Amino acid sequence: MSKVAPPNPLEMLAYNIAQMIEDDQIVYVGTGLPMVGAILAKKTHAPNITLVYESGGQDPLEGQMPWSVGCPFTYRKSPAVLEMAVSFGQCAIGYVDIAFQGGAQIDMYGNVNTSVIGSYENLKSILPGSGGGNDIGSLTQKSVLVGLQTPDRFPARVDFITTPGYLDGGDSREKAGLMGGPIAVVTQVGIYDFEPVTKRMRIKALNPGMSVEIAQACTGFELLVPDEVPFIEPPSDEVLEILRKEVDPRGVFIKMPAR
Amino acid sequence: MEFMYATKEQFERLVDFKGAREYHLSKSRKKKDKRMSLSEAIAEYVKDGDILAETGFSYVRSPIQAYFEIIRQKKKNMVSIGSPMSNTSYLMTMGCVYAIHLSYIGVEMRGNDKNFARAIKTKQAEILSIWSHGSMALGFKAAQLGAPFIAAKQLLGSDMLKYNPYVKVIENPVGLDKSEPVVIIPALFPDVCIIHVQKADRYGNAVIEGPAVNDIALAAACRKVIITAEKIVPEMTIRELGNACIPFWYVDAVVELPYGALPGCCPGCYYWAREWWEWLVRVGTPKQENVDDIMRYWVFECKDQFDFIEKLGGIRFIDQATRLMEAAQANIDDSLVSFDYQEVIPKWD
Repeated sequence: MSKVAPPNPLEMLAYNIAQMIEDDQIVYVGTGLPMVGAILAKKTHAPNITLVYESGGQDPLEGQMPWSVGCPFTYRKSPAVLEMAVSFGQCAIGYVDIAFQGGAQIDMYGNVNTSVIGSYENLKSILPGSGGGNDIGSLTQKSVLVGLQTPDRFPARVDFITTPGYLDGGDSREKAGLMGGPIAVVTQVGIYDFEPVTKRMRIKALNPGMSVEIAQACTGFELLVPDEVPFIEPPSDEVLEILRKEVDPRGVFIKMPAR
Repeated sequence: MEFMYATKEQFERLVDFKGAREYHLSKSRKKKDKRMSLSEAIAEYVKDGDILAETGFSYVRSPIQAYFEIIRQKKKNMVSIGSPMSNTSYLMTMGCVYAIHLSYIGVEMRGNDKNFARAIKTKQAEILSIWSHGSMALGFKAAQLGAPFIAAKQLLGSDMLKYNPYVKVIENPVGLDKSEPVVIIPALFPDVCIIHVQKADRYGNAVIEGPAVNDIALAAACRKVIITAEKIVPEMTIRELGNACIPFWYVDAVVELPYGALPGCCPGCYYWAREWWEWLVRVGTPKQENVDDIMRYWVFECKDQFDFIEKLGGIRFIDQATRLMEAAQANIDDSLVSFDYQEVIPKWD
């Protein structure tokens, strides 16, 4: 028996984020779990990726987990830093391969809401706003959405489209003039992709111990289910040790909250 | 446009290219010693009703001690803009800002800012327009470039378009594909910004270390610019470095303000007072009386940044904050530096 405890759902989430990244890519990193996943990728299967941040930090020397996207660890001995408009410009002109985005709500077409629950006229709760989310999701070739999956957080339609996914599905994203698009959604349940024609969210693979029924129960709309649903191999002990000891040793993002 | 608080004139002034040009033309070109105290600079150049642009990156090289002085001087009816603009949160609940052009108000993974939510819900402040970081950054950049607008590819398809009366979707008239949608973002000209820098000379030539974020563009765009600096250096030092990114003629006032970005961090100088921020978000924001308490203790009962530092722990705090920044930037052997700290208050959301 292995002495290393099996991954908890947040650790699986971080691991699945990391698996989205291929070596040598330029990766646009936001705050929170995507940062954990990107740093895990760099310390394991993708040592030659270059991390870029919206605050302007580019290609930092390896160090601790940044406390914020503006943290000195995002531009630690960087050869250069860029102004914000230029940093986003890189996504538009094709110098960024993949980006990650979280959201309070993600819908069946991959639209993301980080603005408001309810509406601005009839507020239930107000969220921080787009920040760089809209820019990254509108401009980057491939984006990956990250969220904790519950029926409330995964409604059929988001209350407010802060970052467009495939809008109303089909070719509506392209028609709106947007480039790139979301390629996957990573949650504590598993990984989803978008059916190529309708652009509806579809199960791609599930975490160990999960099932199609659980995935559907965590979702506010009908998921597309392929004929065969593969299960994701859990990370090796070695990868888990790196995640726990080197990437997020204080467990800020990967420790499950106490009940 | 009908607003609850903001005037039509305040709304239009943000995109008044000619007005900003006229203002810039009227500014003194004299290369003179512009040093003054923080309270003089805020009294003279930040006026009730001004459109204030936030600088730095929320709590990185942001002029937070100057924002505290704005609160002490009880400025009011201001409109705030910035990408990001997290300090606007308490400027709203302290009654200085009554309208905002929203990009992002929050403290990243430390949870939603309840102060901001309350300010909007209880109508202490109103939202005039909604942006993404990049689209607003392009508005500031257009102003710096002297371009009346920039055509962009973000915002398209989003609901922000419905809440942003300044931008407009058109078909790219000069593109290879003449039917391609683009968003027209006007050049944005706020009234005033305060930019905290590591080095400046007495005339206002300023050097920024680390990410400049939007500050180079904002220095050009804003009608009035206040520089607060960790160090005032001889002009010849700036000339030898040759990397000033803000020229003196943009600048109205220069304030020597060491530790002026506290409780935020300043690249090359000091790391955050991280506990302060967590305290603010988790304890200081749920109710107005909590904000009032925090602001009384940290702002009204501090005459300057040195009183503030005493409350943070004095020389021990400064030594630790300096050491953490040096280690974060890989300038010292960091084997003896620990980035661990105690999160005293649990995260609620």
